[in-house]
Amino acid sequence: MGPYLVGVDIGGTFTDCVVLDRQGGITATKSASTPSNFAEGMLAAMAVAAERLELPFQSFCEQIKVLTHGTTVGTNALIQRKGAKVGLITTKGHEDAIHIMRGSRGVNSRDIAKVVHFPESQKPDPIVPKRFVKGVSERVDCFGQVVVPLNEAEAEAAVKSLLAEGCTAIAICFLWSFRHAAHERRVREIVQRLAPEVFISCSVDIAPKWGEYERTTATVLNAYIGPVMSRYLSNLNDQLKANHYRQPLQIAQCGGGSVSVERAMESPLLTLDSGPVAGVTGSVYFGKVIGTPNIITTDMGGTSFDVGIIANGLPEYSFVSNVIQYEYFLPKVDIEAIGAGGGSLAQVDTFSKSLRVGPQSAGADPGPACYGRGNTTPTVTDADVVLGYLDPDNFLGGRMKLDRAKAYAAVKGVADKLGLTVMQAASGIAKIAEYKMADIIRKMTVEKGYDPRDFVLFAFGGAGPVHAGVFGSELGVQKVIVPLREIASTWCAFGAASADILHVYEQVDIQGSPFDAARINAVLDQLQAKADAQMLKDGIPASRRKYSFSLDMRHRGQINEVEVMQAQPRLKSARLEALRQQFYTRYEQLYGKNASFKSARLEIVTLRVRASAATPRPKLPKASRLTALIPKSAKNGSREVYWDDLKRTVKTPIFAGAALKPGNKLKGPCVVETAQTTVVVHPGRSLRVDAWGNFEITFAKALTS
Amino acid sequence: MNAPDPGLRLRRVSEMKDTKFDGKTYGYVPPKKLNIDKKLKLHTKFQKTIDPITYEVIRHSLWHVNEEHGATIQRISGSPVAMYALDLNPSILTEDAEFVYFGPYMQYMSGVTDTQVKWILEYRSDNPGIRDGDMFLANDPWVGAAHQQDVMLICPVFWKGELFCWVTNCLHQYDIGGITPSSFCGSAENAYEEGICMPPVKIIEGNEIRRDIEELYLRASRKPDAVALDFRAQLAGNITARDRILRLIKRYGPEVVKGVMKRIIDTSERAFLDKLKRLPDGIYRDRTYVECCRPGDRRTHQVMLTMIKKGNKLRFENEGTAPQDGAMNSTYSGWRGAIMVALNQLLCWDQYFAIGGALRHVDFDPTPGTFTCATFPASVSTAPVQAMEISLYPAYNVLSKMLFADPQMREDIMCIGGTSQWPATIFRGIDQWGERYGYLLVDPIGGAIGAFSTGDGISNGGQSRTPICRLPNVEHNEQSFPVLILYRKEVIDSGGAGRWRGGLSAETCFIPHRTASMTHDTLSSGNAMPTSTGMMGGYPATVNVYKFRRDTDILQRLKDCDLIEDISEVKGEVVELQLRQQDFLQQPNDVYSVIWTAAGGFGDPAERDAQRVAKDVVENGAVSVAAAREIYGVVIGADERLDVAATEKLRAGRRAARIRKNGKARVLAGKVKVQLTDNLAVRREADGLHSCCAKCATDLGHISGNYKEHAVRQDNDIRTANPNIGDYRRYIDERPIFRQFFCPGCGALLENEIAREGDPVLRDIELTMR
Repeated sequence: MGPYLVGVDIGGTFTDCVVLDRQGGITATKSASTPSNFAEGMLAAMAVAAERLELPFQSFCEQIKVLTHGTTVGTNALIQRKGAKVGLITTKGHEDAIHIMRGSRGVNSRDIAKVVHFPESQKPDPIVPKRFVKGVSERVDCFGQVVVPLNEAEAEAAVKSLLAEGCTAIAICFLWSFRHAAHERRVREIVQRLAPEVFISCSVDIAPKWGEYERTTATVLNAYIGPVMSRYLSNLNDQLKANHYRQPLQIAQCGGGSVSVERAMESPLLTLDSGPVAGVTGSVYFGKVIGTPNIITTDMGGTSFDVGIIANGLPEYSFVSNVIQYEYFLPKVDIEAIGAGGGSLAQVDTFSKSLRVGPQSAGADPGPACYGRGNTTPTVTDADVVLGYLDPDNFLGGRMKLDRAKAYAAVKGVADKLGLTVMQAASGIAKIAEYKMADIIRKMTVEKGYDPRDFVLFAFGGAGPVHAGVFGSELGVQKVIVPLREIASTWCAFGAASADILHVYEQVDIQGSPFDAARINAVLDQLQAKADAQMLKDGIPASRRKYSFSLDMRHRGQINEVEVMQAQPRLKSARLEALRQQFYTRYEQLYGKNASFKSARLEIVTLRVRASAATPRPKLPKASRLTALIPKSAKNGSREVYWDDLKRTVKTPIFAGAALKPGNKLKGPCVVETAQTTVVVHPGRSLRVDAWGNFEITFAKALTS
Repeated sequence: MNAPDPGLRLRRVSEMKDTKFDGKTYGYVPPKKLNIDKKLKLHTKFQKTIDPITYEVIRHSLWHVNEEHGATIQRISGSPVAMYALDLNPSILTEDAEFVYFGPYMQYMSGVTDTQVKWILEYRSDNPGIRDGDMFLANDPWVGAAHQQDVMLICPVFWKGELFCWVTNCLHQYDIGGITPSSFCGSAENAYEEGICMPPVKIIEGNEIRRDIEELYLRASRKPDAVALDFRAQLAGNITARDRILRLIKRYGPEVVKGVMKRIIDTSERAFLDKLKRLPDGIYRDRTYVECCRPGDRRTHQVMLTMIKKGNKLRFENEGTAPQDGAMNSTYSGWRGAIMVALNQLLCWDQYFAIGGALRHVDFDPTPGTFTCATFPASVSTAPVQAMEISLYPAYNVLSKMLFADPQMREDIMCIGGTSQWPATIFRGIDQWGERYGYLLVDPIGGAIGAFSTGDGISNGGQSRTPICRLPNVEHNEQSFPVLILYRKEVIDSGGAGRWRGGLSAETCFIPHRTASMTHDTLSSGNAMPTSTGMMGGYPATVNVYKFRRDTDILQRLKDCDLIEDISEVKGEVVELQLRQQDFLQQPNDVYSVIWTAAGGFGDPAERDAQRVAKDVVENGAVSVAAAREIYGVVIGADERLDVAATEKLRAGRRAARIRKNGKARVLAGKVKVQLTDNLAVRREADGLHSCCAKCATDLGHISGNYKEHAVRQDNDIRTANPNIGDYRRYIDERPIFRQFFCPGCGALLENEIAREGDPVLRDIELTMR
């Protein structure tokens, strides 16, 4: 059946493994993560898959063509503050940039409504304390000209003192280094000479971008998780090799593809958030398969809710990200984490006597009341249990029993305060959560210049399909798709398995119009050369390499930059006017008609190459015959479910999702269960199984607009 | 100048029954009942009972309407003002101009919004009328703008011929005319020398831009294209918000949506009243000073803020504030808007920007003719960086002192933050690209956040009035302007000392680079006397500091690969810059630097945990060894470690020295009625309530008198308050002092005062409870 494509996604709670075989057969497994040593859980998940395929582990490993791995190890090290002792070397006089944080507290990523309550909006504990920041005399100006040559004696003294302090990683970030890299390179050599074992992170390698705060944080974060990630990855690599895995291990990266394990060890920052990004990557691929270019992806787990946007088959990107309140540069598939998941707490507001849901969350521990770990405040998941959406005995394929009585008691506490019945309160909790999700996703979509009505919504992750039918229709999307049914709950692992190799390189070269095509092309040449060198290292022949080039442009004197994709690999002078028009079109698409400022000069800020190589992919099977006949085995009895639209509890048919056939059509109200998730179909909506086996929820009519 | 005769006692608004506060000579003060023309039909019906789920769904949508409104403006404008300084704010108001929500951006702008909408209802409903599809452009500070640069676009939302509600936004403009580029006219003597000043004009009529009005507006500006684009951004913002509200109305019905709006306000009102109920009645006062109101001025101008809490009412007054003068003034609405910032942050933060309910119980009763409530045609274009800052920051103190009485609300208090007066660096010339430029250095927006009752303030945590602002990177500044920034660093000892330390501020130092020279103006205050005072024994933060050295050896230092970490390292002629110095030149070998004020401290520094002080010295670079000893009484040994024994000895000796030597202090035994500050409590005695030391119960007199009169008083040189304070004589004539008041029984520090030598002792807390 081999060769296999394998994707493994390690999350905080579960490790998912998806195996694609040559015929398009898919095997998906889920097992517990092992935070003390994540590699163990990963190998265990693969072992379960091997068992399912009835293969000895080593021969399974032998038959793997590509193994792509998404991991949360870096994120965990950051959040738990278990990274390396980092020293920072920077331009003398600018040591405090990372502490000043541009005067912001990085709280934009938190609840904005609380932003004026300053006692709750402290800066994070410094990731590199002031005494581990060393200034060195050197200076480059905005033209890239050296104003002060590097003072090597100072540099050497700085390195020595950091080593004496016991730093195990050294970050190097000088002002304007992206215009003149030699000073950082020279200090790197000094560190290598004095301490070859120390992890080094240079800003010109990790984030050669304009803006020293975000560049410094990228460099320091990379150094902070570097040693941990290197240890983890090399250990994993060795174990896989010992088990006869012969191919290079690929690591999912946040730019939407994968990189070789060697590059991931140099630039571990690339792996931050790569798990959720793989979900978008998988959706890009799958969207192509089923012919759906515009997708809003929603990944709702027990405690998290991540949203991404794919327009015309390409994922939306962001170039500045935020982690533990630090902002850093990195080209990344844009994922917005929404503070409204299954764990969102429902509480009664004292003064308005109304029901609030979130943004506080019960988290994974203690989790919802129905987990029985001591929390008595109801969550969205508790409401789902009370309403009958979720079967407490069959949650996550029965791996976890939920306590309905505890959920009921928790919801009742809220209902009594509001003078509502328990069912009214429970459906209220679900509705508020769903409408909030719709508000937030709508804002995200509109902010990127898109109209939700032009999109379909993918609902994956364990908890997504329960609520997607409602927030999808509130949002006004065309339909909701639960991709590949039970695979939907391991979608990020599927995404990892389907990831292309991708390297993104950027160079800042700020230039005003009228542009000089030769100058632009020279930078693009350099970027391509860099990508080529990396692909050569990866062992990818030139024939498999693909490039796409883009320019980040803006009106001179303004802040908003937009990425303008290049149709041709190099610019011709004759095409400069077209470039200008392309900028205006893209700008107005994002910021509204007439938002561009035609009398202003334009500026190119960043130039970028995305170099990719497609991994071989199986043909996913598509049913040639559709049938309306619902097999008996799919009918799984009924249970009492409360429907807000009907204002009452109704004996509702339950279906076994795995047994449904392509072409089957169900009318709401009904509930469809798979091993990992539950799809709730409200009255007035219907569910269809399409030729690929996706569940497709459609609405009678657009409710909003 | 129309400044009132200084010999006359100025009257408060409430005392001027015969005066019209119609936004012409006097700032507009809305009457309790608005006089609206009958032609305009208001939508007033609303549903009283709305189920809690529908309420929450619509409430969240309304909040999002406002968020989307703000995001739309930022996106389309794209200007550094909108994107970094976030000098904008959107709002939603009911048909009669009560706040439903305002946004998390520039907080000043909230307080100047409802007055402008009310003025439009009163003075525009008849002629030219308010109709569906109209919008009004406005920036008249006497009607309600903070200063002329803050231009509002105000949009009525109609439903079936009735005025349903308002959506509005305000956005700071680069330049709208006046004698100084950027329209901050630091040397203007009156409003005639400042930018265009427009009472609300109908610029959108029947959904069309009136080209005649737009051209009139843009004509005054040096940057008409940028202003035009910002106007488009404001327009798009209003349209977005209006359409979203109409969609809600269509879906849920107008009476339900209005019912939710009313309930948001009623809820915030109930929450506010619940808090007031838990607080004692009293009068709270604060006093600060502004320096230099025009080039050459060497006076200090007193600022008074009085807050009276009685039952479920709060009243604010500014009586005792110096008369309007020079170019440092603000209008009624600027003063009111400034106070509302602190009110929202300390008392209403849990109502998430729904301040309308609280405002039903807050009166503003300033004295027209004072410089924080100036009459037309005073110069007000610098209001947000001077008169409004100085109206806002003392409000943190008076509110905090009231809130401290409640153990739970105590956790919400905050000392005065950084950049409490803005030390402006305004420069111009030819840039490195050969083009003309002019700029106001944005760096001081890095500010600092004041100490809390539960922890240290936040170093460079931003200016509290713009809670999500950010300063440009050094590389942004250097790309845009011909400067080489030698350093930008946090300033040691800048944060006010205290049991909890105020956040540190920073210093930016630069030389011109790739330009022949640059021309500067300064515009500042708070350089002689600190304006970020501490609270309840906390010390003040650093003052603003300009440093300038001419003909230095800096270029040689660069050649020698030897960068500096402080301006004091360069050799050259030290030049003292004045606070409104015009047109001085900086050559490539002249070094300029500016420190902005940091944040005030909370509580007696001698009570700060010595280990924390040691950490501040050794690890955080926040406190010097000298300040640790002098101010905190903490000894750090040569080995950079805390010397516990020496510290205990030093602290004990100092406390003993503060105790009253002559006469015995009486210790009270009555029950503690309320704790007023960190070291001040009130106990019930046979003859009524007495103030006393919270530590040792030493009597500080009946509450009908000032507790400070019973304390041990020390008058110190102002420089002992913060190591960064220099010689006041560079800027002002009157001598400032640092007064301290100690418990006569145990030596605990009760409170500090920054005052001019001749000023009376301030009565900061006057309980009127019984």
